[in-house]
Amino acid sequence: MKRKDKRPKRDSSANQPARSQPRPNKGDRRADGRGTAPNSARAEAKSPSNPKRKARRTGRSREPAPARHEPGSARREPAPPRREPGSARLEDRRIHTPEAHFDAASAPSAVLDERTAVDQAGLSDTGIDSEEAFELGIGARIVPPTTQYGEAFESMPPPVQERRTGDVEAQIRALEARLDGLIRQRHFSDPSAETVSGDPVPERRAELVKTDSSPPATVEQPEPPASDFISRKWGRSALRSRSEEFDDFGLDPSFEQRVKPLVEFLYRSYFRTTAEGVDNVPAEGRCIVVANHSGALPLDGLMLRAALRIEHKQKRDLRWLAEDFVYYLPFAGVFMNRVGAVRACPENAERLLEKEGIVGVFPEGVHGIKKLFQERYRLQRFGRGGYIRLCLRMRAPIVPCAIIGAEESSPLLYRLEGLTELLGLPYFPITPTFPFLGPAGLLPAPTKWRMRFGEPINLDNYGPEAADDHVLVGRLSERVRSSIQSMLDSGLRERRSVWFG
Amino acid sequence: MSNSLTSSHSLTLAERGRLSTPPARRRVVAITGAAQFLGTNLVGLLEEDPNVRKVVCLDTEAPTTAGAKSRVYNVSLTEGLAEERMAEILSAEAVDVVVHLAFLDSPTHSAAFAHELESVGTMHVLNACRRTKVHKVVMRSQTLLYGAHATNPNYLSEKHPLRARRSEPFFADKIEAENEVLRFGRPGQGRIATVLRIAPMLGPTVDNFITRYLSHRLTPTVLGFDPLWQFVHEADAVRALRLAALYDAPGVFNIVGDGVLPLRTVIKLAGRTTLPLPRSLASGITTALWLTQLAEAPPAFFDYLQYICVADGALARRELGFEPLYTSREALIDYANAQHLRDVRLLSETPA
Repeated sequence: MKRKDKRPKRDSSANQPARSQPRPNKGDRRADGRGTAPNSARAEAKSPSNPKRKARRTGRSREPAPARHEPGSARREPAPPRREPGSARLEDRRIHTPEAHFDAASAPSAVLDERTAVDQAGLSDTGIDSEEAFELGIGARIVPPTTQYGEAFESMPPPVQERRTGDVEAQIRALEARLDGLIRQRHFSDPSAETVSGDPVPERRAELVKTDSSPPATVEQPEPPASDFISRKWGRSALRSRSEEFDDFGLDPSFEQRVKPLVEFLYRSYFRTTAEGVDNVPAEGRCIVVANHSGALPLDGLMLRAALRIEHKQKRDLRWLAEDFVYYLPFAGVFMNRVGAVRACPENAERLLEKEGIVGVFPEGVHGIKKLFQERYRLQRFGRGGYIRLCLRMRAPIVPCAIIGAEESSPLLYRLEGLTELLGLPYFPITPTFPFLGPAGLLPAPTKWRMRFGEPINLDNYGPEAADDHVLVGRLSERVRSSIQSMLDSGLRERRSVWFG
Repeated sequence: MSNSLTSSHSLTLAERGRLSTPPARRRVVAITGAAQFLGTNLVGLLEEDPNVRKVVCLDTEAPTTAGAKSRVYNVSLTEGLAEERMAEILSAEAVDVVVHLAFLDSPTHSAAFAHELESVGTMHVLNACRRTKVHKVVMRSQTLLYGAHATNPNYLSEKHPLRARRSEPFFADKIEAENEVLRFGRPGQGRIATVLRIAPMLGPTVDNFITRYLSHRLTPTVLGFDPLWQFVHEADAVRALRLAALYDAPGVFNIVGDGVLPLRTVIKLAGRTTLPLPRSLASGITTALWLTQLAEAPPAFFDYLQYICVADGALARRELGFEPLYTSREALIDYANAQHLRDVRLLSETPA
């Protein structure tokens, strides 16, 4: 692919805007590029597209330059068929840059031939004339790369036809020529702003163009899905793969979309989760789901979110509250945040409920994930009942939820508390596999998970002022705790196997 | 530069809603730090305002936007006699409102000067106001003073304590100054103190340590952390100051743009490349660079690359009637466009 390597370089130089460039340099570079690729087959192959293009261009130019050649008549001369459009082009440029004249005089005919090739491939004329670009001035520089100029695609030449010559070499040449055309179209079909804008840093541009060696796209594809070139040159168009807007709490919808297959695999195939009574979660309006917490690597929040996404009729969007320590950890905090965790604090929960969202709460908190294996399914104390106060203030119903199976998936044999300061973790977990198998040991065991959603507990008969009644809050919290504990107990009695449910 | 500011001059509908009553008489507004970025633009905005009779510019140099309504005085708040001089001017010009903007936008090595200017200077200004019966002071503060902590709620309300590191003079002086202003405006004395905590400002013409941070080709971040950031457009910040100067809304207000962006997205939108470094390594390098005056900010500022510090602008919307014209994202893109032109030397004017 020798030819492919050098073509972009030449294109880039030929395509330099007609402003602020050191002209003689350009001529030299173009001549270099040209010297290696005289290819008659290609030139022939390109010629069919010529008349149409000429007509278009002359028709569209706003102020016909008096010095310009009559392009139609010039083309009819057989001897220098490729020279004329090129020179017309040069004079065209001379209107605004006097240096161009110097260039025209000094450049060898090879350069002009080069221009013609470029011209025919539809590069120099993508939708906006150079006059127009000049008028746009600086503003042209900040035309966003996503802008599409209506005529940009029309002005592409039709795909070049193969010719049956019988000669193998000629066929190869024709194919090569076609490939080149495609590559060129690929380069210039999307960033049509490029021809418009003046690039004040030619060297950098040239090297950037060179780096694009992606395979040619099909002609039907209007725009390549992702391009190295674009992301290098216009860093911010690379953001198209990132979501346009993050929500208030840092959930990144596009990142979640990418993680979704993994989450669904965990939910369906790995833990084979069954969810009972999902309909107890209201179809609309605010609600708090209270569940037991477990696991050295807490996946229950993520699975709870997946359960409502997958099983609930309205595909409710649950955001769970994560403990503070998560946010001190590198990577983990950001990951949890992007897939839907919210730091546990009353302000955040209130904000979520005000938007009529569902909040997943694990009132056991750190004590829940610190539970040793022999303490499994014994609910720890439910904090100070902050979630009850939240319910009372925000008038949201509580849906108790028992998650069975999660507490065996990463059984905690021992917790080292001495390292907490050093690691920023509430404890250092020792499980049957971690740390003996390294980070892979943190992988949860494929136990069978069952989620049971209980009847919603409505606290509407208490007013918001009840939130200050500590005795009442403690009693209500105990009520919720015991209902989850009894759901856990009955679920455990019915369960025959940890692995198969 | 003034285009975006003048277009935002007229009140938006939301601003009219609560504040339909214009000030009783045309006001005389004194501005300290009038030659700085915010001061210059506020002078320009008030020059056109029919509700303003006179703009008294107090700084060590004249603002470039000073016009027919402006009276320019050379006042240095770091001098011992600043209080007397301020009091003379305030009584001679019959000033109604003092807008106190003489604060440093970026951390500085001359901590002693910064302390004199910000903490002691604020005391001078307030004492001069007390002597001359100026009943209203508007102070510019920053949301950075809330401090970046993993335990911050996603949207900090004005009631949240200011938890920025007191060991860093940049924060300590501003927190002191803010406390003094709030003490000045304690109820029962007939005085009004308005503190505007402004989010990091971005825009085509502003220059502070955040714009400088985002102007590096390689932008350092902390490995494994990607906090949410928010910005306010410079034009919005100036509009908010004008609102606070002309309408009486005592209290503290967060002045922020809508929406949040993760830091990595911010850097990508600015067209830069992230350079993730472990915190310990980054702190070491930055300490060395800061001591040799090559870094924009001391290592304490890495907190903001690690943890969230995002404020809630609902109160300003409700009480002050301030509706930002730009979202955080738009402010950032506006800045990035101008910065891009500066990078390629098509825009020669240096930011203020």
